[in-house]
Amino acid sequence: MVAAPFRYERVTSFEEAARALRERGEDAKVIAGGQSLVPMLNLRVARPAWLIDINPVGAGPIEDHGGYLRLPALTRHRAIEAAEVVRRRCPILAAAAACVGNVRTRTRGTIGGSLAHADPAGELPCVAVALGAEVTVQGPDGARQVAVGDLLVSYLTTTLAPDEVVAEVRVPTLGPRSGWSFLELCRRSGDWMVVGVAALVELDADGAVAAASVAIGGVAERPWPVPAEVLADLLGAPPAGERLALVADGAAAMLDPDDDVHASGAYRRRMAAVLGRRALAEAAARARDNGRPAR
Amino acid sequence: MSDPGRQRVAFTVNGEQREAWVFPHDSLLDVLRDDLGHHEVRYGCGEGVCGTCTVLLDGEPVSGCLLLAVQADGCSLVTVRGLAPGGGGLHPLQACFLRHGAAQCGFCTPGMLLTAWALLQRDPRPSRERVRRELTGNLCRCTGYSKILDAVQEHAARAAEETGGHG
Amino acid sequence: MADTEAPARQEAFRVVGQRPAHHDFVDKVEGSLLYAADWQLPGMLHGRVVRAEVPCARIAAMDVSAARALPGVVAVLTAADVPSNQVVERATGGLGELAIAMPVLAADRVRYQGEPIALVAAVTPQVAAEAAELVDVEYEDLAGVFDAERALEPGAPLVHDEGNVLVSWTIARGDVEAGLAAADLVVEGEYRTQRVEHAYLEPEAGVGWIDTSGVVTLRVATQVVEHAATIAAILALPESKVRVIGTYMGGGFGGKEDMTVEPYLALLVWRTRRPVRMVWERQDSIMASTKRHPFVMRYRTGVRRDGTVVAQDVDVVGDAGAYPYLSPRVLFAACVTASGPYRVPNVRHRARAVFTNNVPTSAFRGFGAMQVTFGYEQQMDRVAARLGLDPKAVRERNFLAKGDTIPTGERLDTAVAAGECLRRALAALGEPARPSGPGRRVGRGFAVNMQPYGRTVWFRDRAACWISLEADGSLLLRSGVTDLGGGQAASLAEIASEVLGVPLGEIGVHIGDSQLTPPAGGTFATRQLYMSGNAVLAAARALRDTLLPVAAELLDADPGDLAFEDGMVRERGDGDRRGVRLAELAAACQRRGVPTSHLGTWRAETGTFDPASGQGASFPDYTFGAHAADVEVDTETGEVRVLAYAAAHDVGRAINPLRVEGQIQGGAYQGLGYALGEEVVVQDGQTASTLLASYLVPNSADLPDVRAIIVESGEGKGPFGARGIGEPTIGNPAATIANAVAAATGVRVTQLPITPERLLAAIDAEGEDAR
Repeated sequence: MVAAPFRYERVTSFEEAARALRERGEDAKVIAGGQSLVPMLNLRVARPAWLIDINPVGAGPIEDHGGYLRLPALTRHRAIEAAEVVRRRCPILAAAAACVGNVRTRTRGTIGGSLAHADPAGELPCVAVALGAEVTVQGPDGARQVAVGDLLVSYLTTTLAPDEVVAEVRVPTLGPRSGWSFLELCRRSGDWMVVGVAALVELDADGAVAAASVAIGGVAERPWPVPAEVLADLLGAPPAGERLALVADGAAAMLDPDDDVHASGAYRRRMAAVLGRRALAEAAARARDNGRPAR
Repeated sequence: MSDPGRQRVAFTVNGEQREAWVFPHDSLLDVLRDDLGHHEVRYGCGEGVCGTCTVLLDGEPVSGCLLLAVQADGCSLVTVRGLAPGGGGLHPLQACFLRHGAAQCGFCTPGMLLTAWALLQRDPRPSRERVRRELTGNLCRCTGYSKILDAVQEHAARAAEETGGHG
Repeated sequence: MADTEAPARQEAFRVVGQRPAHHDFVDKVEGSLLYAADWQLPGMLHGRVVRAEVPCARIAAMDVSAARALPGVVAVLTAADVPSNQVVERATGGLGELAIAMPVLAADRVRYQGEPIALVAAVTPQVAAEAAELVDVEYEDLAGVFDAERALEPGAPLVHDEGNVLVSWTIARGDVEAGLAAADLVVEGEYRTQRVEHAYLEPEAGVGWIDTSGVVTLRVATQVVEHAATIAAILALPESKVRVIGTYMGGGFGGKEDMTVEPYLALLVWRTRRPVRMVWERQDSIMASTKRHPFVMRYRTGVRRDGTVVAQDVDVVGDAGAYPYLSPRVLFAACVTASGPYRVPNVRHRARAVFTNNVPTSAFRGFGAMQVTFGYEQQMDRVAARLGLDPKAVRERNFLAKGDTIPTGERLDTAVAAGECLRRALAALGEPARPSGPGRRVGRGFAVNMQPYGRTVWFRDRAACWISLEADGSLLLRSGVTDLGGGQAASLAEIASEVLGVPLGEIGVHIGDSQLTPPAGGTFATRQLYMSGNAVLAAARALRDTLLPVAAELLDADPGDLAFEDGMVRERGDGDRRGVRLAELAAACQRRGVPTSHLGTWRAETGTFDPASGQGASFPDYTFGAHAADVEVDTETGEVRVLAYAAAHDVGRAINPLRVEGQIQGGAYQGLGYALGEEVVVQDGQTASTLLASYLVPNSADLPDVRAIIVESGEGKGPFGARGIGEPTIGNPAATIANAVAAATGVRVTQLPITPERLLAAIDAEGEDAR
C-alpha cells in the first residue's frame, strides 16, 4: 500500500479550505476523516496532486436549534452516535451513525465527509435524504445552503464545485408523534449496506399518518427518496400493515438497481420492498410510542 | 504549507517523545514500523478493514494505514506495547488473553487488545454482545473469537472487583 | 515404525492435558514477536512482483526500459534473467499426473490474471510501485477457458498443450453399478463449491540477503523451509547456497505451503547482492495467491429401505487453475474420502483436477477432503428424508468402525468415535430454538466428517528433532517444523517437558531453518503433531534412557524407581526423596563421556497405491468429528442466522486442550465463512473484487460461540495417542448449515456459499413442501 506522492497543506477554516482548493486546482482534494479517501490513495486509484487537510478546522458541539440540529461538518460518526442531543432529538441519525463501518471508521469519519463522498450505499446520505437535511457549502467567495437531495447527484458525485467544501449539516428534529426506523441489510456487521431504508412517519392526533418520508440506499446511484405520490397512499389513514406493504412494494417496483458482486439488482429491488415494509411498520410503531431514543 | 520534501513530525508513542522526517504521502503505519521500529503495528490490508494496524490516537482506536503520518503531529499514540505497566510485564488484559488462549497466530492480537482496552475505558462492564460489536473491525482468522471475548470479559470482571476499576 | 512403547507408567500426565500458555504465545500477547515483514537490514531494497493484467494471452512485447531508468530502481528482472525458469513440483508421486513445469516469471505466455511477469527492486516501496506501473506490456489475447467442466469438453481451449486434465484418480471396490441397481433407492445429487481465499491476517512477506558465506538467506513466512532446494534449483546454485528461515506465521492455512515470495525475493537478492524485503499487497494476494479448489461433485447413493448404504458413485471435478501446484494431491484426498465416515461395500470415486485460466488452486485447510463433506453429508440427509428415517439413525447404521475396510481397501486400525462426537455435539445444543417472529423458520442440522492426518504414505514421510540437555539443566530443541499459530513449536516443548520433567520456561525451541534445524517436513496435512510430535517424543525418550543409568548410579538407586520431574531426577513416592538436579546430571554425563543430546527421527508408516486398480495405501489415519447447529432463516430475505453451534472431534489425546479448543473454534468459523459468505468471484478469469472489504471473512458479531467438545479415544498415531486436529474442524460447517437450512425450510441449497440471495432463490424454486 503506497500512495502516489502529493503535496499537503493544513487549513484552519472552511474558507481557507475553499481558497486553497481554488488555488491548487482540479487535482486538489480535501481530506477529512480519510476513511474513504485514504484507501483509494493506498490502492493508487486516487492520485491527487494536493491534499488539503481540514481536520485542524475542528468541530464544535452539536447544537439544538429546536426545529433542527446543527452539526459541524467535521463531527465524527462516533460523536453523533453517542451524543445525547442526537439520540433524543434525531435518533435516526444516531442509529445510522452507529452502523458506519467499524469503530475505527467511526472515530475518524465525519458527517461532512460522508455527504461529500456521496456513496449511494452510505448510511448517513440515506438518512440525510429521508430527513430532508440541508448542508452549508463553503466556497472561496461565500457560502450557500443546499438540500442534501440536491447535493447528491450520482455515484461518488455531488453538486459541489471543485473549490467548495461542506461546512455544516442541519438535520430536522423529530416532532411529537413522530417515529423513525433505519434498517439495513448487510452481508456482515459493519459492512456497507446491500440495501438500506430510512423511514420517518408522523401521526396526527387520531393516529392517522400525517406525513411520511422514506429513502432507500444501495438501489440507485444515490439514496433514492420514495416519491411523494407513492407515499400519498399512506396519508390520512392509520398505518395498517397491508397499506404499508402496498406502498413499499409500489416504491420498490420503481427501482432498477445494478448487479454487483454482493447482490443482484433483482434481489436489491425485492429487499427494498421487504425492508420498506418493515421500516414503515417500525417507524409507525415508534410514532405511536412517541418515538424512542436510539439504542 | 510543505514543499515536496520531507517534513518533521513529532508525537509521543507509549509516552515517549518521538520524531521522524516524512513525506506527506507516508502513512502513519509505515512511519511507526520502518522509521520508529514499532513492528507491533502491522499491515494487513491498507483498507481499514482488518484492524492489524490499530493504534490509539489520543485514546481512541484508529487505522494507522488510513492516517498520514503528518496528521499525527502533536498527538499521543499508544501501541500494544504501551499497555504494560511501566515498560515491563503484561497488562492484566494481556495476561487474560494469554491464560485463555486468545491468541493463536498472534497477528490480530495487538489490534484486539487496544480496541478492547479502549472500550473498557468507556464501558467498564460491557456485555459480551457489546464487546462483539466493538471488535467487528478486528478480524481474526484463527480463533473464532470466543476466547478473545472470554478474556476481555474476565478482565473486565476482575478489574471491576478491584478498587479503581480497569487500568 | 510404530511407536510400540506403551505408556510406561500408570501415573497421570503432568503436562499433557494441561493448558499452559508459553513460548511464542507470550510474545504474541506482548506484541514483541517479529513476523516476516518485521526485519530490516542496512541498504535494504523493496521488491515488488509485476503481474499480468489479463488471464490468457501471449506476451507480444515487454518493455522495462522506462522502469529501469526510474531513479531509485536498482533492478528490473524478467524471465530471461531467471537462471532456471521453472518450478517443478517435487515428489508428485509420479502416479499418472501430467508433468507440467510452471515458470517463475512468465516468458511469452500468460495463463492467469496476476501471473508474475517481472520483478522490481527499488530503494523505497513507492519507487517500486511506480516502476511496476512503468513496465509496458503488449498482450495478444488468446481464447481462455474459465470453467472446469467446459475445459473437459472436446475442443475447449488448452491451458497447457499436454491437455486440460492434470490427473484423474479412481478408487473402486466391489461393483458399484450392480450395487446401485440392487438398491431400494438411489439418491442423486450435484453439489458445487466455490473458490475461497485463506485470508491469513499476515500477507505473504519476507526479507532476503546474502550472508557472509555467500548463502542466499531468506527469512520468510512459509510452512515449508524445504523449498530451499527448489529455490537453489531456480538460481542454478548448489542446495547448500540457499537457506530458508521460517518465521512464526500470522496464519498459513495452506496458503503458505507452496512458495509465495521466496523465488522472487531470492532472484532480486541474488541479482542486486543487497538485502531485499517483499510484502505482498493484500489485493494482489486476493487476486493471485493460490486458492481452494472449486469442486463440482456428483453423487449417486444407493441404499436399502432401512437406510443401509449399499453403493455409492462419486464424481469430483476440481478446478486446478492455471498450474498444477498441489492439485494432484488435493484431488487424491478428495477421492479417498468422498464417501465420508461410512461403510460402502460397492464404491467408485473418481476425482479429476482440471486446468483452467483461473487463479491456481492448491492447499487450503481440508485439502479436498473438506469439500466432499458438503456432498456426502447432504446425501446422507437426503437419504434419511426420502426414506422417512431419522438422519442420526441413518448415520449410526452406516458409521465405520475400527477394523472396517474403507474404499481404498485399507482397514481402519484405530478407534472411530464418530458416533460419540455426533451424540455429544447434538446434546450440546440443548433445546431447539423457536422462531423469533413471523416469516422466520428454525431448524437443526449436523454433519459428520473424516479428515486424514499425516501425508499419503507413499511419500515415506520422516521428521527429525534434536534435543539436548544443557549445562544449566535446561533443554534445547531444534526442529525444522514451522509454526503457523497452532502451537507447533510449543507442542514440542510440552512433549519434551512431559518426558523429561523440565519446566516449560526452561525449554528453548528453535524451529524452521533449512540449514540449522533437523528436517521435519512442512507444516501441512495435519502432520506435525503426528510426525514431529513423535520425533521429539523419540528424542526425549532416548535422552531419558541415556540419562537414567547415570542418575541411578549417582543416587545409588534402581532406575525403575526414578522419575523425571521438576527439573530433577528423583526417587518416586512422597515426602523426602533423594534426587539429582539436571544440571548436576549433565555435568556427571560430561565427566563420564555420556552424550547429553539425541537426534530423534520418526518415520511414518509406508505403503503403495495402485492407480490402475484404485486400491492401496493412502493415509496413515483419520480424525473423525461432528458439528451441529440451530439456524433461523428469514424467509423474506433469505438471511441465515446461526443460533447455536457445537463441534466435537476425537483428537485421540489432547496434548493441550486449550489449543485443541482453539483449533475447533477457529476451524469451525473458517468453515462457517465458507458456508455462508466467502467467495472470490472470478468472471472470465478476472477477479471481480480484490478488496479485503469484499471478501466476507466472519467477524466477531455475526456468529455465536462455537461450543468445542474434545473427545479422546486415546487411539491416535501421534504422541501419547494423539490425532491431528489442524484441518478436520473446517470440513463440517458447510454441510451442517445446509442440513440445518433444509430442516428449517424444506429447501436444500447445493451450491456454496449459502448467501441470502441464493437461499431465497431456492425457496422460490422449490417451495416449502419440496425436499
